[in-house]
This record gives sequence, structure tokens and C-alpha cells, in this order.
Amino acid sequence: MSGAVLVADEIDTSTTGVYVYGIVEAGDARVPPGLAGLDDVPVRLVAHGDVAAAVSPVALERPPGRRAEVMAHSRVLEALAETGPVVPVQFGSILGDVDTVTHELLGPEGERWAGLLEALRDRTQLNLRVTYHEDVVLAEVVAEDADVARLRERTRGVPEDVAHGDRVRLGQLVSQVLERKRAQDADMVLGLVLPHVVSYDLRDRGDVDHLLDVALLVDDARRAELEDALEGLAEAMHERARFQLMGPVPPYDFVDGDWWA
Amino acid sequence: MTVASQRRSGGYLERPAPSGLADVVEVILDKGLVIDAYVRVSLVGIELLTIDARIVIASVDTYLRFAEATNRLDLYEKGGKDLTEAIGDLQESGAAKKVGGAVKGAKKALTGGDDDEGRRPAKKSSRSRRREEA
Repeated sequence: MSGAVLVADEIDTSTTGVYVYGIVEAGDARVPPGLAGLDDVPVRLVAHGDVAAAVSPVALERPPGRRAEVMAHSRVLEALAETGPVVPVQFGSILGDVDTVTHELLGPEGERWAGLLEALRDRTQLNLRVTYHEDVVLAEVVAEDADVARLRERTRGVPEDVAHGDRVRLGQLVSQVLERKRAQDADMVLGLVLPHVVSYDLRDRGDVDHLLDVALLVDDARRAELEDALEGLAEAMHERARFQLMGPVPPYDFVDGDWWA
Repeated sequence: MTVASQRRSGGYLERPAPSGLADVVEVILDKGLVIDAYVRVSLVGIELLTIDARIVIASVDTYLRFAEATNRLDLYEKGGKDLTEAIGDLQESGAAKKVGGAVKGAKKALTGGDDDEGRRPAKKSSRSRRREEA
């Protein structure tokens, strides 16, 4: 088990599969020395033409998934993202053998992966989460909707089982008004953010305080500009909402669809 | 992740550094390139982790939670606390518990559960994922 490239006869396919972390450009030293994947096994490349899969052999008989596997997957992709563009593969993707990686994953779509890697070059993903200050937005809801205010008065301090129907109705109304406010606020935020990014991917959440969760793909050269814009927005809205920008993370949200084609 | 948490002095934009398992799961779960199932090896242990833990929340329980949060508002006695304290109280009082239970349970099973306290899970994106032709 040495060298940067994994070859077919190194693994016993009856007991061992090939865990795939992501796709990178072949040719250069894309795997940092000492990078370990699942079970602390070194990460290696299976190359085909211009592209390569970053993989490690993985025992097929194993206990139910553990946190170590999630963390290893994440760690490997972060390390790969630091050395150049990477197409992250979904967590838990295991192929039967090296030939399958070459002929099913890489071979038929080699040009597609090369194009996607080129599109991801010098770009990073940042995850923006905007959450309402819950009591502020709920106070707005009560103030703006007479039915909500009325039902709220009727159900406050009443035992849960007595006013059950009213409480459900109140919750429905609050949910509807929140959806409306959220749509307006999210549109406004997106309108100011999108001019600074290459692409975006909305994520939904079902929480009361949810305003906007969006993955942003940003040119490295424009990150400061985006952060300045977000800082301005966060300041303007700070009484109603909280802005959190996480990352950079590997471009998990930008590997499918046709944003780059 | 690799970038340390940085907050410009006096800035309003927070830059948290995802560190715990729950953060990482939220970033990676259901994301990334989907390899066609017919070439994948199915492993019970690993597959469990890819079960959609982001249960769509649209139920009576959800509405009751919204109602509860609205009723808890003390619109007329807010002067005594500053906003940050009020929000802290709201979070500490566990407004999320009612709905969070099932989802948290799923996430707990998924992650071993030791560091997702206080986090609320994300609903799965409704965006349809295009299968990659192999």
C-alpha cells in the first residue's frame, strides 16, 4: 500500500471496496502527502485521462456508520480543495473495484468532469445563513395580522388541551405570514448578494427563525467584495436578523445541474 | 473547517467556523456528486448515514410550535431586557423541542449524537437532483 496511485490488483474485491471522495485533475501531486481517509487508510488516486478519483480501499464488512467516517470524508475533501479544484462525491459512495471507478465513473464522463473542474478553479463555496431574531419577527407577525393577534389573545394562558384547535389555527396563520415575510426578505437579500457570486443553491429549513440558507459559489478574487456587501446588509438588518457566513467549504452544492456548462 | 472564525471588529457579519459533527453533517449530507446506484456497493452501515435526516416538518406539531413561540412573546413587557438577553432566553427555553424531537432523534442515530445539542436540522432541499449518466 504505497504510492499515490491505487492499482487494481492491490485490493481483494471480495472483502474490500473503493471509497470515492471526489474527482480531481490527474497528473500533478493533488493528494497531500500523508492524507488519510476512512479507517486512517491513505488516500490515493485512480487516474483516467485528464481526471482522477481520490479514493481509499475500505472494508466492506464494517459496523454501522460512525462519526469518524463523516469527519474523514469532510477532512479529505477539504484537503483536496486546498490543492486545487475538486468535485466532491456524495458521502458514502463506494464502488466495487478500481476498474469500476475507471470505466463507470471516470471514463464515460471524462470531458464532463474536466469541464466542471475547470469551472470550479479559483472558486470557493461559502454558506450563508440568515436567521430572524425570532421574537422580533414574531412580534411583527402579531402586529401585522389581526387574526394572529386575536387568536393569540384567545389561546394565551389557556390549557393546551382546551384550546387545541385554536392553537393549531394560530400556528398555521403564523406559519403563513412568516412564509410571506420570508419570501420578501429572502428576495431582497438575494437581490443584493447574487451580483457578487457565480452561482447559488438554496437550502430549505423548517424553522421559525429561518430567513435564508444559501450556498454561494464565489470567485476567489471577489470574496472580499462579497463579504463587504454582506457586512453592509448585516448591519442594515441587524435588529431583525443575524447573518452568518461559513466556509470556504468544498463545492458540495455545485457539482450537478448546468450552472457551469 | 479550515478557516478560523474571524469577525471583523465591530462587524455584524458573523464568520463561524464549523467544527462539530452536526455542522459537518449539515454541510455534506445529501450533497456532492451522486454516483448511479447500479455501480455502487451498498453497505448497510454507510447507507444508514445517507438516510435523509432532514425530515420535512409540516405537521400539527409544527403549528403548535409556532403557536407556542408566538404565545411566549411578551409584547408589553419587553422593556426590561435587551434584545440579546431576550433571544437568549427564548433559545434556552427550548422553543425547538417539540418539533426538534423526531429530527434530532434521527440525527442522533446518524451522528452518535454527542454534539448536536441546541442545533436544529435543515429540511431537505426541494431541488431535484439530476442523476449523473454513467
